[in-house]
Amino acid sequence: MSKREPYQLTPAPAGVRKHWKSLESFEASVKEHDKSADTEFPLGVGDIEGLSRRGFLTIAGATTALLGLEGCIRRPVENILPYSQAPEYLNPGVPMHFATVTERRGEAVGLLVNSYEGRPTKIEGNPDHPSSGGATDLLMQASILDLYDPDRAHTPAQRAGTSWTTKRFSDVDTLLANVTRTHTADRGAGLRFLAQPTNSPSFVRMRAAILRRYPEAKFHTWTPVNESNSREGARLAFGQPLVPQYDYDQARVILSVDSDFLQTEQGAVAATRSFAHGRNRLRTGMNRLYVVESTFSTTGANADHRLAIAPSMVEPFLRALAAALVQEHVDFGPIGAVIGASPADGLDARFIGALAKDLVANRSRSAIVVGSRQPKHVHALAFVINGVLGNFSGVHPTVTFGNPVDTDEGDQVTDVTALRDALRAGSVKTLFILGGNPVYDAPGDMQFAESLDKAETSIHLSAFRDETSAHCTWQIPRAHELETWGDQRSINGTLAVQQPLIAPLFGGRSDIEVLAHLAGEANWRGYYVVRQTMREALPTSLSFESDWRRILHRGIAAAAQPFVAAPPFRTQEVATALQQSPARHAASPQSLEVVFAADAKMLDGRHANNAWLLELPDPMTRITWDNAAILSPRTANALGIANSDVISITRGSSSISIVAWMLPGHPDNTITLPLGWGRTAAGRYGNGQGTNVYPVRHSDALHFATDVRVAKRGGTYRISQTQDHNDMAGRPIALEGTLAEYEADPLFAVKRTPTPRALPLWREVQYRGHKWGMTIDLNACTGCNTCVIACQSENNIPTVGKEMVAQGREMHWIRIDRYFQGDDVNAPEAVSFQPLACQHCEEAPCENVCPVNATVHSPEGLNDMAYNRCIGTRYCANNCPYKVRRFNYLNWQINHEASGEVPATKAMQFNPNVTVRTRGVMEKCSYCVQRIEMARIARRITGSGLHDGDITSACAQACPAEAIIFGDLNDANSRVSQKANQDRHYKLLAEIGTQPRTTYLARITNPNPELSPATAAPAAHGQAHGNNEAHTETHR
Amino acid sequence: MSDATFTPAELELMKGAESPIEELGERNLLSPTMTFNEITESVCAPIEGKTPLAWWIGFAIAFTGLGVLGGSITWLFWKGVGIWGNNSPVAWAWDITNFVWWIGIGHAGTLISAILFLFRQKWRTSINRFAEAMTIFAVICAGIFPGLHTGRPWFDYYMVPIPNQMSIWPNFKSPLIWDVFAVSTYATVSILFWYVGLIPDLATLRDRAKTKARRIGFGFFALGWRGSNRHWQVYERAYLILAGLSTPLVLSVHSVVSFDFATSVEPGWHTTIFPPYFVAGAVFSGFAMVLTLMLVCRTVFGLKNIVTMKHLELMNKIMLLTGSLVGYAYAMEFFVAWYSGNQYERYVFINRATGPYAWAYWSMISCNVIFPQIFWFKRFRTSIPVMFAISILINIGMWFERFVIIVTTLHRDYIPSGWGMFHPTMWDIGIYVGSFGLFFTLFLLFLRWIPMIAIAEVKGTLKHAHPHPHHGADPMHDEASAHDALPAPAE
Repeated sequence: MSKREPYQLTPAPAGVRKHWKSLESFEASVKEHDKSADTEFPLGVGDIEGLSRRGFLTIAGATTALLGLEGCIRRPVENILPYSQAPEYLNPGVPMHFATVTERRGEAVGLLVNSYEGRPTKIEGNPDHPSSGGATDLLMQASILDLYDPDRAHTPAQRAGTSWTTKRFSDVDTLLANVTRTHTADRGAGLRFLAQPTNSPSFVRMRAAILRRYPEAKFHTWTPVNESNSREGARLAFGQPLVPQYDYDQARVILSVDSDFLQTEQGAVAATRSFAHGRNRLRTGMNRLYVVESTFSTTGANADHRLAIAPSMVEPFLRALAAALVQEHVDFGPIGAVIGASPADGLDARFIGALAKDLVANRSRSAIVVGSRQPKHVHALAFVINGVLGNFSGVHPTVTFGNPVDTDEGDQVTDVTALRDALRAGSVKTLFILGGNPVYDAPGDMQFAESLDKAETSIHLSAFRDETSAHCTWQIPRAHELETWGDQRSINGTLAVQQPLIAPLFGGRSDIEVLAHLAGEANWRGYYVVRQTMREALPTSLSFESDWRRILHRGIAAAAQPFVAAPPFRTQEVATALQQSPARHAASPQSLEVVFAADAKMLDGRHANNAWLLELPDPMTRITWDNAAILSPRTANALGIANSDVISITRGSSSISIVAWMLPGHPDNTITLPLGWGRTAAGRYGNGQGTNVYPVRHSDALHFATDVRVAKRGGTYRISQTQDHNDMAGRPIALEGTLAEYEADPLFAVKRTPTPRALPLWREVQYRGHKWGMTIDLNACTGCNTCVIACQSENNIPTVGKEMVAQGREMHWIRIDRYFQGDDVNAPEAVSFQPLACQHCEEAPCENVCPVNATVHSPEGLNDMAYNRCIGTRYCANNCPYKVRRFNYLNWQINHEASGEVPATKAMQFNPNVTVRTRGVMEKCSYCVQRIEMARIARRITGSGLHDGDITSACAQACPAEAIIFGDLNDANSRVSQKANQDRHYKLLAEIGTQPRTTYLARITNPNPELSPATAAPAAHGQAHGNNEAHTETHR
Repeated sequence: MSDATFTPAELELMKGAESPIEELGERNLLSPTMTFNEITESVCAPIEGKTPLAWWIGFAIAFTGLGVLGGSITWLFWKGVGIWGNNSPVAWAWDITNFVWWIGIGHAGTLISAILFLFRQKWRTSINRFAEAMTIFAVICAGIFPGLHTGRPWFDYYMVPIPNQMSIWPNFKSPLIWDVFAVSTYATVSILFWYVGLIPDLATLRDRAKTKARRIGFGFFALGWRGSNRHWQVYERAYLILAGLSTPLVLSVHSVVSFDFATSVEPGWHTTIFPPYFVAGAVFSGFAMVLTLMLVCRTVFGLKNIVTMKHLELMNKIMLLTGSLVGYAYAMEFFVAWYSGNQYERYVFINRATGPYAWAYWSMISCNVIFPQIFWFKRFRTSIPVMFAISILINIGMWFERFVIIVTTLHRDYIPSGWGMFHPTMWDIGIYVGSFGLFFTLFLLFLRWIPMIAIAEVKGTLKHAHPHPHHGADPMHDEASAHDALPAPAE
């Protein structure tokens, strides 16, 4: 704290803080000295330089007006309405919830966003929105951090060479006016747009307006992880681009053909929910999941039966299955002849035979879902199989269809190639790139960057000044989805409005606004555009204003529409496509195949600067801060590759170097390359993390490639993992049994973890009032890691960086343990996931040993941490048998900040109800005690009691599988009590007498008896199934 | 070393000697030809003479080490304990290893001065001052680790039960609080015991002082000791009481330290054998450290006549005993782990012997159990180079014992997903090396400023300290030397 001179009569020298008493005087001083904006925002928010004068006055005026009532608030000028709890006055510290919507792989997902005094801090799912159901995926949980990313582009800028000239938004308006003038003259010839696929009716409406105004303009669509194959497959099978939806709850038999529908594919949140429901129909027809895949995905880890095959074998597999179905007298109609001739050599005939029987036995109760990597004719074939099995009809059709919002979208590779050709030909005068990062993620053989340089004017609307911006002439900040208006229609037709929670931190425009501006809309602001779209989309109403308010309040404008009836198959086209499919490739260690997989965390690279996601361990490999070339141990041995070896992968003239990593259960002779890493212009956290694999991803082999050369490059690269022991060492930890075992003995789990009959050390406490507890249903958990990020977001959990993770210092309060089972390191029998957080033991070992009473039991049974009292002896962590306590060895909040302080925008994300811990104190799961207290205070004010569901923890709220349930164990009717009374219930490490409050429900698998190992080779499997004695351990 | 044994003439004299020590069944360890004056002179020489070059060299090295400690602590305060390699699951590593190791070393001093005093083992007199000083310095070194290993050391006072505005007491259920009491009591009693024992010798130095500063300095600490009969009576009684107080501490301190582990739920820690096993280990390592230091000092300062081969051999025998005791404890831990049928316990011990830290485990077994067995042979037991080497190996082995107990238990306990490894950083090493700097700095100052051997007590063991008329005239017993046993008035 610097001391201030009391009476400063002479002008202050440069660098001394200026004082101002009114906006006028401040404005005067701005003119006098441009940099005084920095003194207004000393913490660096002042980087709003370049904000227009009007923009500044708008914010400053609004801020000043609200100062007396509400303190420092940044919120949009347009009215938005809180979702459910609407305090009459804005109460500091009391969050408001606003409904909005986001997009994930072409599906709209409704959200509710927590906002404290105008600061959005936490994202939850909107329970009213069908594709959310109140849950989210991990990327949605993490996207709040993207909003506050300190490396977002702060101003528009114009590029000359490698240098950028800062511009103002008024310059952008001038630019857009110039573009309008130019292309009004030439009817849009030379005007091109490259956008990402969209669900937004407003976007489609504005696009149509543009095309009306500039008839010769062209729109192109590109995103590297896209749904083109599925759409084209539907076009092939039905003649129109229908989007399939699957009901995994009703399906008895599910076959995933290279589809990671539980993690990275379209609609994963809803899929996880319905899959988990179907999983828990233990008495009423539990579903059975077969996964055939060319990598090892989270979905594969949840399979009852899994077949790991090279990607080129997936299509032969599905054809062989169809042939087996023909054998089982399934009527394929005219294409039966084509299908029946498919050979099954090189495939597991026993698996296919048993699967075919199972599918036939469950006609109209099965679902075959194909991954977006597979070519369109595989999708078409799967539609045909689903159709002939009766899955489109019945009381509860398991496969239904919706119409896409954007019916014009074609095959994206073709589309982006057309744009590249136009650029090369010099026929593109003005190119708008609306979001996306094609220079980074376009197919490596396209040389997109060089072509882009040929455009006379190229305008990149993006949140970051990234790889693509570096080849554009202009870069305009793109507003985050929490900063701007929009709308999204989901596959089932639910229409939802995206409303901003905060005025754009750095200015920023949305795609819709740029289009509206160009289309000549007088009111081009998103608010007006979206409002107009809604007015047009909804039935005519005399009271649109009240409808509009209701839409904003609920977040949903129109409910789901009826399913689209599947049109008849175009059998001739499907048959032709199947006959034309290329010859089969025989994978071997000398002729490897490569799979380009969407990354569970980065997706395609769009979240590359998100430290939460970077530090999140990959669900399967447990690798943080990196990607790796994943291959099976057998293939690695055949190639002489060990973990951490750097290998080179070459296709054509492109080559990359990447670290190799073995994953038990990965298909042989196949390498998985996760997309989205190795960014060079992502920002301070993401730059240089992992390896960019796009250079070897070519337009002729977008999803898997066969003709690659792999060589050991020499040298090693250090990988940070959060878990390097992959087996349970024969211990009863993540318990599971087959459905048959469960039916024979429903109490099998608790029998394996008996509570000791020992006298307790202290008199046992009787909990009157509330008794908070949690159950985690391992049968529902799919291992998606959403809870980890939800917890991180709710509880201000810092990231520690790659080096610190390698030292074992990651701070996640909840982690998802992943264990392999079985004796064969190349073919683990199963994978178990187990979320593990503080168990809130009744007889907590940590509490006894704390010398200063910093961790104590609350009257409601929580194991509380008093950070102020903690001196950091770490004895509690040592004595925790679950090892869930996390220690602030350093000041993590600033440890890997080069500036030495928390970036000002990042600090805005902090949950104000959770202490930001300093160095030297212990922390751990608190059961979200702040939520309990907040609900208690709220109920005390209203006088009503706490009811089940009033309080839930962040992990439980976010969980798309509803695997985590939190509530009051003293309330016999609460969901958590009911879960805790189920027969699969057990306590982890019960035998040491800690009496954990968080308890587990054992996982039940549903193997096909025909495929059980016992019937196959009883001698080879002497040990009983599921006894976990196996040791499959990757060697580091 | 030819001087390690007595000359035939000395042995001849010793045969016929009947000193007080012999009455108790001990053999006389000092040459009976020694006079009181010789003892005074030889013990006072290092304090009063010119500082030897070796001392300056040693001090320079030790002081550099102290600087390393200061630097490491400064950086530790600046950055936090994250500069060490500690992590999750291994939240304690070198910090607590060093603490237990230093505390253990301290035990020899108390054992020698208190328990052997009560058992009237007169041979202790040649080494007790030395060992007690070592105890205090070791406890100081030990004390810095629990103080610094906390995340927020400026709040360490929360562990002390001082009334405070927050009205929060420490958690008396926590073994760490027991540690606070045990170690602070131990340090207090050890310092008192040492200081009381020093008073007559400080008076001797005062009386021999040639400068005013020395006279005032030593005089202040000598508390006006005049050697009167009344002084001696009170002194002996106080010394006896302190010895009585110290005796249970020898057993209690390391028992309490072992409770840090034994009361936990961690496999490999949660065992009832820990208290006796830790005490035996502490005595073992303490004697090894005394021996290491003693062997150097008696050579450098020419005290071979006072600390004789007999002393050294007796210490080696104790090390052989305690080393075998810890060996038994190691074996018993394995047996119990197997016999209990507890899979977690079994795994920890199998992991200790065969896991990634097997090298540490086998270092411990070799240094603590195997190598000391060489002391069954008198030839090695009386060989200075052998015992020097073994004593250092024992110190290394005992450090590894604590490392093995702490780290191998923590790094793989119940839930395999939480398993990890510990790797020390340069700051782990720095603070450990620095603690040696502190120890040797204090020790070297002690050697230069305080009589390293209890002059008065050693004299008490001489035959002529106890005239027995019925044995006839003692040629050595003359007025001058008898007077010399008591500090003479200043000349």
